[in-house]
Amino acid sequence: MTVYTITELLGAIMPLLELRDLSVCVEEKKIIENLSLVVEPGEIHVIMGPNGSGKSTLLSAIMGLKTPTICGGKIYFEGKDITNLPSYERAKLGISLAHQYPPEIKGVKLREVASAMVRKYGCSDCTLLAKMLLVEQFMNRDLFVGFSGGEKKRTELFLLMLQNPKLAMLDEPDSGVDVESIELLARSIETLRSRNTGVILVTHLGVITEKLSRINKVHLLIQGRIVYSGSPDEVLPVIMKFGYRKGLEVLTSKGA
Amino acid sequence: MNISEVEKALIKPALYGPDIDLSKYKLEEAVVEEARDVDPGVASAAPRVGLEPGKLMYVQSNERALYTAMARALSKYGVIVAPTREGLEKKPLAKELAWRLVNPASDKYTASAYLYGGEVGYFIYVPPYTKVPMPVYTCLAITTNNTVQFAHNIVYVDEGAEVNLVTGCAIPHGIKDGVHVGISEFYVARNAKLTFTMIHAWAEGLHVRPRTAVRVEEGGEYVSYYVTYSPVASIQTYPTVYLKKNAKAYLASIIASSKKGVYDIGARSILEEPGASTENISRVVAKDESSVYARAEIEAIESDTKGHIECLGLLLSPRAVVSSIPIITSRKQGAVLSHEAAIGLIAQKEIDYLMSKGFSEDEAKAVLIRGFMNIDAPIPPSIKKQVDQILDIVTKYAVG
Repeated sequence: MTVYTITELLGAIMPLLELRDLSVCVEEKKIIENLSLVVEPGEIHVIMGPNGSGKSTLLSAIMGLKTPTICGGKIYFEGKDITNLPSYERAKLGISLAHQYPPEIKGVKLREVASAMVRKYGCSDCTLLAKMLLVEQFMNRDLFVGFSGGEKKRTELFLLMLQNPKLAMLDEPDSGVDVESIELLARSIETLRSRNTGVILVTHLGVITEKLSRINKVHLLIQGRIVYSGSPDEVLPVIMKFGYRKGLEVLTSKGA
Repeated sequence: MNISEVEKALIKPALYGPDIDLSKYKLEEAVVEEARDVDPGVASAAPRVGLEPGKLMYVQSNERALYTAMARALSKYGVIVAPTREGLEKKPLAKELAWRLVNPASDKYTASAYLYGGEVGYFIYVPPYTKVPMPVYTCLAITTNNTVQFAHNIVYVDEGAEVNLVTGCAIPHGIKDGVHVGISEFYVARNAKLTFTMIHAWAEGLHVRPRTAVRVEEGGEYVSYYVTYSPVASIQTYPTVYLKKNAKAYLASIIASSKKGVYDIGARSILEEPGASTENISRVVAKDESSVYARAEIEAIESDTKGHIECLGLLLSPRAVVSSIPIITSRKQGAVLSHEAAIGLIAQKEIDYLMSKGFSEDEAKAVLIRGFMNIDAPIPPSIKKQVDQILDIVTKYAVG
């Protein structure tokens, strides 16, 4: 008979990620308010919204970065309350974030960070990943120093994949990126999904959504609240055509 | 040499650094002898500066200068590695070069070395167009307490020749105090190249006063890569490099300071003829209550010369102090000189970023400090590997 621990049992029946009435503050100001969201393994959730709606803040809060603080609600990962865990502990549990603006770090080579991560997470196909995302050529360069937009996004996604994450969050992977990079990024997201990784994709323009074969849900985030959630076929064409404000009116009136 | 002038200088303090009363320390008699076995003190000090005792070509323990069998391995290339006293007795060139670049009357340390040092230290000669196939490893150690050690090093790299010199200066565990005074006079002839890697590992009660001057002739190249990482009572040094036509210098210092140490470390380049160029780079990582003065100076005497200073410092403790003091002086139009200096903390956003990748806060700091000390110095890969190992130790030391 196989004996499971309570945590393992909970992990099996609980959602991968659950945000319960989450509020996130930056310097006392509430950026995200009472937000609830459930992501299951292998699902792709797209969060869209205008600039300043709180998309990046939300991902930072789930990752546990120091800047935004959680000022209400809870975050559960595989049933475990991680609301107060530091980011590196969350990373170890399998949460990952491809940053929108990763910092340029002089003197630190991509190879050094990648090798340290391979040592941490073990990675059987990292050479393949590096090839797939065309990052081999940057291995001996200082991390993100002088990288183009597309190079930064590909490198971030490469590092994220080295974590072999259970939950992958991608912050605007399609902004400021050439067409070739978007194809590569989309293919990597498909790879993540095929490994049963849950994906939260934040996008302002929605370009990358056209390249993905299956998206489970699209959420509209406006002023820190999810104001609409629906299937991609329902939501994406409306938003692409009308923009956020008008699009929301169209979507809600359809439902009414 | 005007002896009375040198004698007068015995009480002359140095321009920088705390003044040391040398009379408080004992001085052993200088001796030169064959090394039968590696001196146990040196054997335990050498690994602290990344050196293997078996590979050393010159060894000095206090005032005992030791020949090693390894030095003879180079004699087939015509390369001489010998105690300076031996060189002065047997080689007219050594005599001609001694005390030409460093004036014994500069301060009490040079004067004492000249008058009482007994001319121990190393003399190295590389014949014309000889590329020495292996690095020349030397190690100077202070192996008893309360001792003053003098060393007078003379290096001549003849026309078109190339050599990589690695010198480690250290003390074995258990040595608490002492003074090290090292006089180094390096000559790089036309189109020759000398890379000089020096690693220092001292202890809280040690005072260190290196006095170095280098002359680089037309088309020659001098690379200095200096690393110091242990606590020390004080280090004060300000090497000067004189560069002739089209000569190049790259002077890098990595300083990881700690405890209550005073680290006054500089690099000065004099661009004497057209085409001369220099880069003076320093990286300072300061913790505890240490004080660091990172000095750098470039003086352009001729036009069509180029020089750049880059001093970067990281403060790892609220009580440490770092002063960056760059000076650029141009005496002719057409010299291009610049400097860049910055002192800061480790960037929080960089720590946050690495933590989001699964690095703990300490691990993230270590990665960033290690990266901060990474410089692309033009040294051979084998030595770079050695220095990298030392920098890994330095990082642990700086974070811990």
